[in-house]
Amino acid sequence: MPKRFVCPRERIPANGMIQCEAEGGLKLLVANAGGDYFAYQAMCPHQDVPLCEGFYDGAVLTCHQHLWQWDIRTGAAMGLAEAALESFPVEVESDLIYVVSQSALNAAELFIGISDATLAAITALAQKEDRAAGSICYDFGDPADDFFVLESGRVEFLIGRDERLSPAGFMLRKGEVFGWAALLENQPQRIARATCLEQARLWRINGKQTLELLERDSASGYLVMRRLSSLIARYLASSGSK
Amino acid sequence: MRIQLNARNRAYHFEADQGARMLYAGLAAGINLPYECGSGTCGTCKARLIAGEIDDLWPQAAGRKYLKRPGEFLMCQCVARSDCTVEVANHVHNMDPGACVPAFRDGTITDTRALTHDIVSVSVKLAQPIDFDAGQFVLMQVPGVAGYRGYSMVNFERATTRLDFLIKKKPGGGASEWLFKGNPDGAHVELFGPLGAATFYPNLGKNILCIAGGSGIAGMMSILSRARQERYFDQFSGYLFFGVRTYLDGCYLAELSQLARDFPDRLHVTIALSDEAVPEQALQSHPALGFDHGLVHEVAGRHMQGKYQNVRAYLAGPPAAVDTSIRMLLLQAKLTADNIRYDKFS
Repeated sequence: MPKRFVCPRERIPANGMIQCEAEGGLKLLVANAGGDYFAYQAMCPHQDVPLCEGFYDGAVLTCHQHLWQWDIRTGAAMGLAEAALESFPVEVESDLIYVVSQSALNAAELFIGISDATLAAITALAQKEDRAAGSICYDFGDPADDFFVLESGRVEFLIGRDERLSPAGFMLRKGEVFGWAALLENQPQRIARATCLEQARLWRINGKQTLELLERDSASGYLVMRRLSSLIARYLASSGSK
Repeated sequence: MRIQLNARNRAYHFEADQGARMLYAGLAAGINLPYECGSGTCGTCKARLIAGEIDDLWPQAAGRKYLKRPGEFLMCQCVARSDCTVEVANHVHNMDPGACVPAFRDGTITDTRALTHDIVSVSVKLAQPIDFDAGQFVLMQVPGVAGYRGYSMVNFERATTRLDFLIKKKPGGGASEWLFKGNPDGAHVELFGPLGAATFYPNLGKNILCIAGGSGIAGMMSILSRARQERYFDQFSGYLFFGVRTYLDGCYLAELSQLARDFPDRLHVTIALSDEAVPEQALQSHPALGFDHGLVHEVAGRHMQGKYQNVRAYLAGPPAAVDTSIRMLLLQAKLTADNIRYDKFS
């Protein structure tokens, strides 16, 4: 994505936020956090409600609809939120705000907050895959070497065997991660089938090489493992509250 | 009709009877489907039809404004005409063991009486006992009026055959107009419930803050009733702020006075009058209650300063009032979102 003008800095009040349309029509939420600027997707990933109608105290953004919350500096999900925000890196030049080209993995929920160098190294591992509707990303028993980051489209999972297959959820948001068995120990084989329900663009990333990178940057590795464990917990936990 | 529901984390299967709304059928099967109002306004029960045919019972429902993509529909307003596969973009889990699983119930209206000029108290006598949690509501359908409306229970009892409700007179509100037109006692009503996640359990271990506007006091009475039965206020503090326009709009003031006298050190009840200064008569008639002039969230904000440690808040009332209270609790009081509980239905 090329560098795009968003708005003059003065339009965004101290510790406030506005919705803006960047050059090319991209709708963004732009927030001022103590003089630092952050840009995110304009709509809540939950129910498509404009985030600019929510609550913001200079540190935490809350959607007013169901109180999903995010850390304004990273876009990471907090509290009740079940998804991170897609972030758009910002540059300020002579009091004008721009969003700049971003890593393909910038929206990946697993990598929020990790160091730029490690993100760049993981991005270098990522291979783009464009897949037609109906194509199978992996099947039962396949080696679990790689994990995937969804760029666009919809991927469904099936578990079970023979005629007793049953749906085990689906992925639909940009940045969602699946096939994460590749990042776990002693999980050499796929236990589900992943099928693209519609045309999809994915990033395929080798698990072992990613783990090696994370071992060298243990601060980033810690963040990734924390996010991975909350991601897995989401499939186990009872929701309890809204 | 057999429904397959694909959620983000797994699929569920349940049966929906002919004419049964999909949301109600799924909830009755013990599946914690996403919903908030259950009556067509909030859009939370949005789903997408993958296969099969549905009928929309209320194509004008306000909540349809949240539908953006082809095939999307509100589960609370749609019934399956054939076996269906639907998708919801949420993680969905089964209800916890011990949860009060909602069901359809028949009842008869009794004991209707006016509490103020525009609020009546009605009770519904049920054929079968029901369990519900303090703070929950049911959806009620009255004769001759299409669709369901949500009403919070005022009382709290286990295995009860009697539910008490508050109903506010709303010009043009079908169910409300029907109830205010003559005496509805003896009328047959159909209920679906209990519903709602703004529930209080005595093992909470926190001070509780209740902010209610108008008939939103109903659910708070149920919460306070459970807290009184369990002597919750021996250990924890309770703060109730009840917003009404004028002193004469206040209901349950005698009951609230009694509660405040039962727990004089721990339970603080303040009536916020938005449209008039506090009349002398209020202070004389209810010395156990506090009164203040202002909007209920402003009054709560003033009185609660410095008292937000270990607090769980419950909110109810007109949606705009709930929203301003949420804003105050998040931005000023710095409560975390999981400690702010409400069910928005208008």
